[in-house]
Amino acid sequence: MIALRDVTKTYMVSKEIAVTAVRDVNLTVDKSEFLVITGRSGSGKTTLLNLAAGLVKPTSGAVSLGEVNIWGLSDKEQSLLRNSKIGFVFQFPSLLPSLTVIENVALPRSFGTNHRNQDPYERATQLLTLVGLSDKVSAYPRQLSAGQQQRVVIARALVNEPEVILADEPTSNLDEQTEREIMDLFHDIHAKTGVTIVLVTHTSQLVAYGTRAIQMANGVIQ
Amino acid sequence: MFKVLAAIVVVLALVIGAVGQFTDCQSQGKSIALANGKTTPMKCHWTGQAALGTALPLLGLGSVTAFTKRKESRRIIAVFGTLLGAFVILLPTQLIGVCSNPDMLCNSVMKPTLILSGALVIGISLVGLVISERKPEQIA
Amino acid sequence: MSLFRLATKNIEGSSFRSGVVFLCALVVAGLSLSTVLVIRGAQDSLRLALERLGADIIVVPEGEASRVETALLMGKPTQTWMPQENLSKIASISGVAAASPQLFLASLSNASCCSASELFMVAFDPKTDFAIEPWLRQRLGHELRLGESVGGNLVFVPEGEENIKLYGYIISLKGNLEPTGMGLDQTLFLTFDTARDIARISKTRAVKPLEIPDNKISAVMVKMQPGADAHKAALDIMQTVPNVTPIESPQLFQAYRKQITGLLRGMMAVLGITLVLSLVMISLIFSMAANERRREIGVLRALGATRVAILQSLLSEAAMLALGGSAVGIALAVMTVGLFRNLIVRSLEMPFLFPSLPALLTLIGGGLIVAMVSVTLAALLPAYRVSRQDPAVAMRE
Repeated sequence: MIALRDVTKTYMVSKEIAVTAVRDVNLTVDKSEFLVITGRSGSGKTTLLNLAAGLVKPTSGAVSLGEVNIWGLSDKEQSLLRNSKIGFVFQFPSLLPSLTVIENVALPRSFGTNHRNQDPYERATQLLTLVGLSDKVSAYPRQLSAGQQQRVVIARALVNEPEVILADEPTSNLDEQTEREIMDLFHDIHAKTGVTIVLVTHTSQLVAYGTRAIQMANGVIQ
Repeated sequence: MFKVLAAIVVVLALVIGAVGQFTDCQSQGKSIALANGKTTPMKCHWTGQAALGTALPLLGLGSVTAFTKRKESRRIIAVFGTLLGAFVILLPTQLIGVCSNPDMLCNSVMKPTLILSGALVIGISLVGLVISERKPEQIA
Repeated sequence: MSLFRLATKNIEGSSFRSGVVFLCALVVAGLSLSTVLVIRGAQDSLRLALERLGADIIVVPEGEASRVETALLMGKPTQTWMPQENLSKIASISGVAAASPQLFLASLSNASCCSASELFMVAFDPKTDFAIEPWLRQRLGHELRLGESVGGNLVFVPEGEENIKLYGYIISLKGNLEPTGMGLDQTLFLTFDTARDIARISKTRAVKPLEIPDNKISAVMVKMQPGADAHKAALDIMQTVPNVTPIESPQLFQAYRKQITGLLRGMMAVLGITLVLSLVMISLIFSMAANERRREIGVLRALGATRVAILQSLLSEAAMLALGGSAVGIALAVMTVGLFRNLIVRSLEMPFLFPSLPALLTLIGGGLIVAMVSVTLAALLPAYRVSRQDPAVAMRE
């Protein structure tokens, strides 16, 4: 499904100082896996996720999604790939404040050229029911709690029936109970749909939700 | 947004009221001499008085707009604003009028100011109506 | 949801920023159009007035050139005299096709015998006139009879009356000439015979009689033969006819032309500064907005929006605000200049003519395009920069 081969990412902090966030990583994620990546802050796990998503270009190495080498594509092709095959759940509040909940969920349907038959808003309503927010369709993000916002983000990630969901510390801003609810939701979605999930977290207890777990430290998989 | 519109309407109301008092021929010392020796104000004076009379409810309307949140109230205010604005335009053009000599202050200042202010009041009322119809109801 | 709708939502979502950009576009478009309306109106006015006068050379008494110009420019009456015999001398100059005399007169100020106060009256000789006569033939189908007149665009019969009363004499207004934006619009044109008839009647009926000195004229309008040298003719006039000043048409209203040029420079300077400041402000606001929405744009890229789509969305926002702001600014400019024309003319002491509808629509269209292009260009660099940013970098705190 996702393959990273000898991938290294080095950032130039200044002209003289370089920081290697990820070093010679080899990682394969199989279809329908629920991979949990743990590590401390600064271990390179977020960079690894961004590399897998094609959101940042590796300094060296290859990243492929399915059989497709992401960095052999043009910007337009990459955008299309992300739109149709990947769903994102970010750590920070990522809903657009000027759109309602349903508009946010349906937003990915505005990009790309996937010709799905179902009306975007109909699909969005179904997903909001799945995540338990069918009564918040017309609300704005500022009217929701942090946990509710994250549920909306998960619904948005599913709107284009992606092959993989990439979640970067989706529960780090939530209290324990809400964290459990969100992780239960991920677990249910994985069980129902078989979608591949790669979830990054600094909370080692969440490893139990996945089918596989790896740990990162100093840019290397342990 | 409504507070901004309300502020503009209040300013326009003040302009409409003031221009009618300071640019009519009466305030410039000109009036019509009658056969019996008495004088009577020219029609621009009555336009000015009517403008003042229209400015007062407009001032009230502008003030109320800043604080009302109900859609129905805003709708009514917008309709009244439009009517008052139209009335202000009609005062110097159709209803009463001003002196026809273009050199007179009532013709060169009062009339265009009333027309422009009236048009702005209408414009702002309609903008307020459109915004109000688009926004969801907010309970005060 | 289309990117256009997304742009609309973003505009609604940041009303203060959008309001400032809207206001900048309003000011730029409104100020630009006002300037163009006044300057172009002044130039049109000059052109039409010269066409109306129809003369290649105007001969006036020596030292009276500037008073006559002011009378024609602003409609402020003046009276000036020179010997009638100058007419035949001028007519005999080589290259002159026609020479027609005129009398410059004025109605009384605030007199009961005059229904129009201080009205500039120009009496012409129908036998030799070449400026008013063609219009009369075309519009009225006949010459002016005794007691008849035509007025400039702003001459009117007082309310409640049927004719104009001057010096106790009833004059009928047979029509109004097309506007020139100049003093000619406030001028009454009548024949020599009518003028003399008024002078005769005024002795008994007016508060003060109209005096027309015998064998005197105020000015001579000169039309040159095609291809003839007007400058040479003007020099010949100066040599042949004593105590006169010939004003060649290109030199007419010289002071006015200098004033237009000076005003044009001043207005263009103000406009230029305002334009630059507004565009800089718009560019800064969009830079700020792009920076604040950096993370949001990173999210959109992650969700599948291409760089081009992001750029289009941001430029759509700019264009919509530009269109809205400039439309309102232009409407305000047209209304203000149109409604307050009289006041502007009197304040600037410079006539101008409001353009005809087709010309106005062209100016409005041009104004909208200029405003939209400049505002969109101001937003282009910040929008381009943010659309090129790496999504991961954009989403970092």
